[in-house]
Amino acid sequence: MKVLLTVAATMTAALAAIPAHAGPVMDEIVSSDKVICLVNPNSPGFSVADSEGVFHGFNTDFCRMAAAAILGDAEKADMRGVGFSDALKTLVAGGGHMASRSITQTGTRDADPGLSFVVTTFYDGQGFMVPTSLGVNSARELGGATICAEDGSTTLMNIADWFTDQDIEYRLENIADKTARLEAFFSGKCDVYASDITALFSDRLLSNAPLDYKILPEVISAEPLTLVTRPDKTFETVLFWAFQVMLNADHFGINSTNIDEVVATLPDQPKAIYRLFADDSATVDMARNLGIPEDWAYQVIKQVGSYSEVFDRNLGRKTVFGVELNDTSNALTRDGGQMFAYPIR
Amino acid sequence: MRFTIRKCTCIQDASVTQVYMLPMIPPSAPPPIGTHLRTADIAVAGLVLGIVVLAMWNILANMSAAGISPGFDFLWQEAGFDVSEALIPYQPSDSYARVILAGLLNTVFLASICLVVSTLVGVAFGLISVGPSPVGRAVAMAYVELFRNLPKLLVLLVLYVVAVNGLPHVRQAISLGPIYLSNRSVAFPVIIFGEGAWIPFAAALAVVAIAACRKYLRRRSAEAHDNSRTERVIIAAALVLLPVLTMLIFGVRIDVSVPELKGFDFSGGGRLSTQFLVIVMTLGLYHGAQIAEVVRGGLKAIPVGQTEAAAALGLKRRQTVRFVILPQVLRLILPPMNNQYVNLIKNTSIAIAVGYSDLMSVSGTIINQTFKPLEMMLITMGLYLGLCACLTTLTNRYHARLTKREGR
Repeated sequence: MKVLLTVAATMTAALAAIPAHAGPVMDEIVSSDKVICLVNPNSPGFSVADSEGVFHGFNTDFCRMAAAAILGDAEKADMRGVGFSDALKTLVAGGGHMASRSITQTGTRDADPGLSFVVTTFYDGQGFMVPTSLGVNSARELGGATICAEDGSTTLMNIADWFTDQDIEYRLENIADKTARLEAFFSGKCDVYASDITALFSDRLLSNAPLDYKILPEVISAEPLTLVTRPDKTFETVLFWAFQVMLNADHFGINSTNIDEVVATLPDQPKAIYRLFADDSATVDMARNLGIPEDWAYQVIKQVGSYSEVFDRNLGRKTVFGVELNDTSNALTRDGGQMFAYPIR
Repeated sequence: MRFTIRKCTCIQDASVTQVYMLPMIPPSAPPPIGTHLRTADIAVAGLVLGIVVLAMWNILANMSAAGISPGFDFLWQEAGFDVSEALIPYQPSDSYARVILAGLLNTVFLASICLVVSTLVGVAFGLISVGPSPVGRAVAMAYVELFRNLPKLLVLLVLYVVAVNGLPHVRQAISLGPIYLSNRSVAFPVIIFGEGAWIPFAAALAVVAIAACRKYLRRRSAEAHDNSRTERVIIAAALVLLPVLTMLIFGVRIDVSVPELKGFDFSGGGRLSTQFLVIVMTLGLYHGAQIAEVVRGGLKAIPVGQTEAAAALGLKRRQTVRFVILPQVLRLILPPMNNQYVNLIKNTSIAIAVGYSDLMSVSGTIINQTFKPLEMMLITMGLYLGLCACLTTLTNRYHARLTKREGR
């Protein structure tokens, strides 16, 4: 028993960092002058480290969004690559301010008092990839197949649910190491690779012959990939509305290249745009209450860009992924997607 | 040493006495154990206890401040995820408790196999490394240096990638009779017992129990000889005949299930997954290298005089090893070996990297689903601690017995 207790004592070191009440995350960010943001260590299109160890990609741009809004400088985002299993634990233990790493918002995770799910940046769903040579056209033909999936993720639950519902037998390979998992799939140890559709698109590129693999039409789950923070009402509010600014920018056709022009001609702009960027605008009121720079909305668009800009830059037509934003659920609601731009006033 | 009397028929009675008198390395004397507590002892114990109490209080206070109440009720909820392989029937609709058990059994199974493999590899290379062949010694040294200087996770990943790419796809599986080898698994036939299979098993168990009882009673009555040869024959015969007879009488069916390629994979028969074999190979080689060094150290610690004395007494080489060297080496290397075994048990947790559902893997998944890190970490640590403590207790007991016997 004594050994167990000693073990518990060691754990305290990590747990003692948990604040008694939500609130100080924002103070911590301001005093340390950086936003510690947990991202995927290696996920093409979403977050990949360059030769200097700096992460770039769709997910990392929301870390930069936070830094631009709070500290006025997107470069003050301190991005750290953390595996899925450890990201939530790290966050709860106080090892980061926020996570932007394709974490699905689920009820039980959200109910955890140590975590706050703020805003969904990407609507994804789980699908299957198979070698074209397998001759399979639907996931319903996968009876008895071996499926490779990431250990510890919701993918495992979705697979279990879907195959049980369809009454199809399968065999699971829950592999934590990404290299091992992809090698297992590309070598034919697994027949099927299961992950979020976007991850399938990007992981396919890691094979020697991406065209030898195809993604099956079934999408078996809803995966709202959401920004997660340590609980802090102020911090959460900033993240939520900074994201809304990015959506509103799209709604009004504003982006990082034309923002200066828009701001220069504010009196001629529609009222909604005026409210976003003017000196006596709603965003300035918000800034005073939240304790962030008054030009936060401008900085977010100027330094990071609008939502579609971020999407296109990392995943769009001109990238290897070639995903058209308006073909996905991530288009604005007026374009048939699920991204609803909240009014800022 | 009583068995030397019977076994060493080559030695005359007079020299048998000599064997007894062969000076053994004295077992290290245990340090004197004090029975009264000193002030310093009390102070240290109090300090440790204080830190522990403070830590527990801090954890609970922090948790309740964050609105988290520790509890283990979630263990009975539906797990909802699958595992790569399990020794007990398990499906996603079973409870978290059951999936923990499945993971624990996978860990125990993996650790046991690794333990045997690493011991065999280690002892073999340990013997070669002190053997007469210079080539053998060089090979053993190269092996030891290579594997104890590489991170085991790297070795595991390299072997895994080589195995899944090097072995054929399941459709081109290599067939060794009814055994099929592919990059997925080794599929092999298994015997399946029909209904009532427990009867012959119970019969066999009864025979073993009776034999063990007799042996125990005889030892207690301090009779100085082992089971006679006839008695052994009777026991062996009973062990075979009784189950067969009961099987015939009760009509228990025996079937052989042979693996067959059906659809995507082999069905029927038994299987050992590639990842399991790769982990066994990795840990077998990794700990084998370290055990080889332990064995080498043990062998080197026996003075040459022992071998010379044994030879002078007319003991043959094999007898020297069996009755003079090994008993002393065993006593010397048991504590470091225990250390290796405990490390090995913990190191099986690298299995998570290549998709073997061990205790660590299911525990990680459960934490992500339920978000009960404190509870699950305590359970996981408790189970690993329990496993290692059991093993240590057993080896310590065995070591005490060896020491006592040698010390007589």
